[in-house]
Amino acid sequence: MLEKTGIATEQDLAGIMPPKERLAQGPVAVIECFQRIPCNPCYTACKRGAIQEFEDINDRPVIDVDKCNGCGICISNCPGLSIFVIDETYSDTEALVKIPYEFLPLPEEGTFITALDREGKAVCRAKVHKVLNSKAQDKTPVVSLIVPKEFSMVVRCFSIDDFYSDNTIICRCEEITLGQVRELIRKGYRSLDEIKRISRAGMGPCQGRTCRQLIMQEIAAATGVKMGEQRMSTFRPPAKPIKLGALLGGDDHE
Amino acid sequence: MRIEEHPILSFKKGPKVRFTFDGKTYEGYEDEPIAAALHAAGVRTLGHSHKLGRPRGFYCAIGNCSSCLMVVNGEPNVRVCVEKLKDGMVVETQKGKGDLR
Amino acid sequence: MKKTEIVVVGGGPAGLSAAINAASLGAKVTVFDRNSQLGGQLVKQTHMFFGSQKQYASIRGVDIADILTNELMKYKDNIEIHTDSTVIGMYEDGMLTVEQDGKYMKIKPQSVIVTTGASEKFLTFPNNDLPGIYGAGAVQTLMNVYGVAPGDSVLMIGAGNIGLIVSYQLMQAGIKVKAIIDAAPKIGGYLVHASKIRRMGVPIMTSYTVKYAHGTEKLEKVTIWRLDEKWQPMPGTELDIEADVMCISVGLSPLAELLWQIGCDMKFVPELGGHVPVRNEELETSMKGIYVAGDVAGVEEASAAMVEGRLAGLCAAKNLGYTSDQFDALKADYLDQLNALRSGPVGEKIRKGLDQLVG
Repeated sequence: MLEKTGIATEQDLAGIMPPKERLAQGPVAVIECFQRIPCNPCYTACKRGAIQEFEDINDRPVIDVDKCNGCGICISNCPGLSIFVIDETYSDTEALVKIPYEFLPLPEEGTFITALDREGKAVCRAKVHKVLNSKAQDKTPVVSLIVPKEFSMVVRCFSIDDFYSDNTIICRCEEITLGQVRELIRKGYRSLDEIKRISRAGMGPCQGRTCRQLIMQEIAAATGVKMGEQRMSTFRPPAKPIKLGALLGGDDHE
Repeated sequence: MRIEEHPILSFKKGPKVRFTFDGKTYEGYEDEPIAAALHAAGVRTLGHSHKLGRPRGFYCAIGNCSSCLMVVNGEPNVRVCVEKLKDGMVVETQKGKGDLR
Repeated sequence: MKKTEIVVVGGGPAGLSAAINAASLGAKVTVFDRNSQLGGQLVKQTHMFFGSQKQYASIRGVDIADILTNELMKYKDNIEIHTDSTVIGMYEDGMLTVEQDGKYMKIKPQSVIVTTGASEKFLTFPNNDLPGIYGAGAVQTLMNVYGVAPGDSVLMIGAGNIGLIVSYQLMQAGIKVKAIIDAAPKIGGYLVHASKIRRMGVPIMTSYTVKYAHGTEKLEKVTIWRLDEKWQPMPGTELDIEADVMCISVGLSPLAELLWQIGCDMKFVPELGGHVPVRNEELETSMKGIYVAGDVAGVEEASAAMVEGRLAGLCAAKNLGYTSDQFDALKADYLDQLNALRSGPVGEKIRKGLDQLVG
C-alpha cells in the first residue's frame, strides 16, 4: 500500500496507465502522482497544453495523452520526480523508459545497468540509450533505458551497480561485453556461430578460446538448450596465430 | 570523510589549515566549523558528559543543543559545531564543566 | 544604541521575503541572522520545491536562497544585514539585544518581524545521547553546507517530508540509507518523495520505532521494533540494523523564545508544532508592531513561509506609513496563495491548527 511503503499498487497504477492504442503510437508521459499536494509545475512546464489546467493547486495532474508527444520536458520539472516517458515503439520487442536521475555517477550511453522496479528490486538488465543532462534539465538528468517491452511499466529506476555483470568483457580480443552477447541472444541469435558472425566475438587472435564456452553458457542460461546440445561453431585452420612466412616456407607447394 | 562529488552542490572551501586535537595534528579548511573538520577526520566523540561521563558528539550542528562543548585555544565551553576553524587552533576535550585559565 | 524602523530576526525564507517587501516599500530594515550566510535552511535543500511559480516551484531550495538574497540586494539603500549575529533578547520597551562577534549590541526598532524558524524535536530511547545520533538538520548542515559525510550507513527515524528528503540527500552524497522507520502507520511526507526513495531500494517501515541504540563510544547498531494499532511496542518483533548514524527527524517545534520574552500571547497548538503566537490575519501578534512569519508562527512548508514573510513585510511597512496603492491587491493575493497551499488534504492539519489561532 502506497501510504505505508511508498510503493504504488496495481490499483493506483490502473488509473493512470495510457491506453494500449496510445502506447502503440509513440512516446507518452506517465505521471505517477497519486496524492493531492499543493504543486503544479508539470502544468506550467508543458508547452503543448497536454496537462490539464489545475482548478485547485492541490489537483492531481490529468494528462491528455493525445496532446502529449512524449517530449519529456515535464520530467525534470516535477519536484516529486514522478513523471516518466514510455516509448513502446522503440523496437518490436523493446521499449524506452525515460527516468529522472539525480545521482552520481551518471551512467554512460551504450553501457548496461540494472533496471529496478518501484521497490528498488532488480528486474532486468537494460542498456542506456541516452543521458540528457543539459541546462534544460537543470541538474535533473533524464536517462532513457532500453528494456524488454513487458517491463516498460515496471522499470522505474536503475542501479549503476552491474548486478548482472553486463559490462564484463566476455571476448577480450574483440572487446565484446556479456551485455552485448545477452542482447543478441534476446534478439534471436541463438547459436555460437550466429553470435560470432554478428558480433565478431571469437574471431580475434585467440579464435574463441577464451569466450567460446562463456557464450555457450549464456545461450544455455537464456534458452535452456544445454551446452552439449548446442551446435558447435565451425573450426578452420590455422588453430593458432602464425606468421604468413610460415606458410610460404612450407615443403608442400604445388 | 569528505564528499568529493555531488550531483547538485559544489562546496566552497577555504584554504587548508592545520590544528591540533588533544595534541594530535589534523587538517581542515579555514572557517568551516571545528566539528566538521573533526568529523571529516573520523572523530565522532568530542568529549564526555560532566556528571555521568557519557560520550558526547554534536547533535544539532547549528548551535542549539550545546552537546559539542570543547576547549578551544584554552577557552572552555566552546560550541565547536558553530566555531570557525582557524590555522593553528588548539582544540582539546573538555573535562567537567571547564576551567577558566 | 542603534535605531532602525524594522528589524527582521532571521534571514531564512520567511525573513528574506519579509525584508524584501518592507524595504521595497521604503522602510529602513535591519536583518539579523546567526549564520554566516543568508537563506536559513534553504541553503541545505537540494530538491526542487513544490507549490506554484509564485513560490518558486520546481526550483531547488539552495537556488531560491540566492534568488531571494539577490532580490533583497536590489533595495540595499534601505537594508542593513548583520550575519553571524544572534538576537538574544527582546524587551517590552521594544529594545532588542544582539550578540555579534562576542560583542553585545542594542537596537531599538519601531517594529519587529520575528522569523526565527523552528528547532528539531527529539525522541526518548536508551542511549539516545550516543555520538552518531544526529538531528536531521545536523546531517544536512554537515553534508550539504560543509561537504562532510555524516557516516557510512544511516538509519532514518521519521518518514515525514524532512526524513524523506534528507534520506534522498544522503543518497545523493553517496551514503547508504539502511531504512526509514516511522512510528505512525502511514508515511507522513509527500508520497512522491517516498516513492523516489523506495525505488532506489530503501525500505520504508511504518509502525516501527527505536527500542535501543547500541555502542560504547559511538553508535554501532540500532534495535527497532514494531508498534501495534495502539502504538504499543510488540515484543518479539525486534530487528537489528547496523548503522553508524541514526538521523532523527520526528518534527519541528517553533523557536519562539523571543516572543515569550516580550510577552506575546502564546497558545499550544500541536498541529502547528507546539506553542505558537496568537496573531491576526496580517501576522501581527498580541504585541503591537511585533509580527511573525514562517515556522515560528507554526511549522509548515517553506513555500508557505515565503508567502507569510511577504505578507508580514507588507503589513509591518504599512503600519509605519510605507504603503502603495497595490496594498489591498497584494494582501489579498498573499492570503489567496496561503489558502491554496493549505487547501488540500496535506494542509488539513495546518488548517485545523490555524483555526485555533487567528481571531
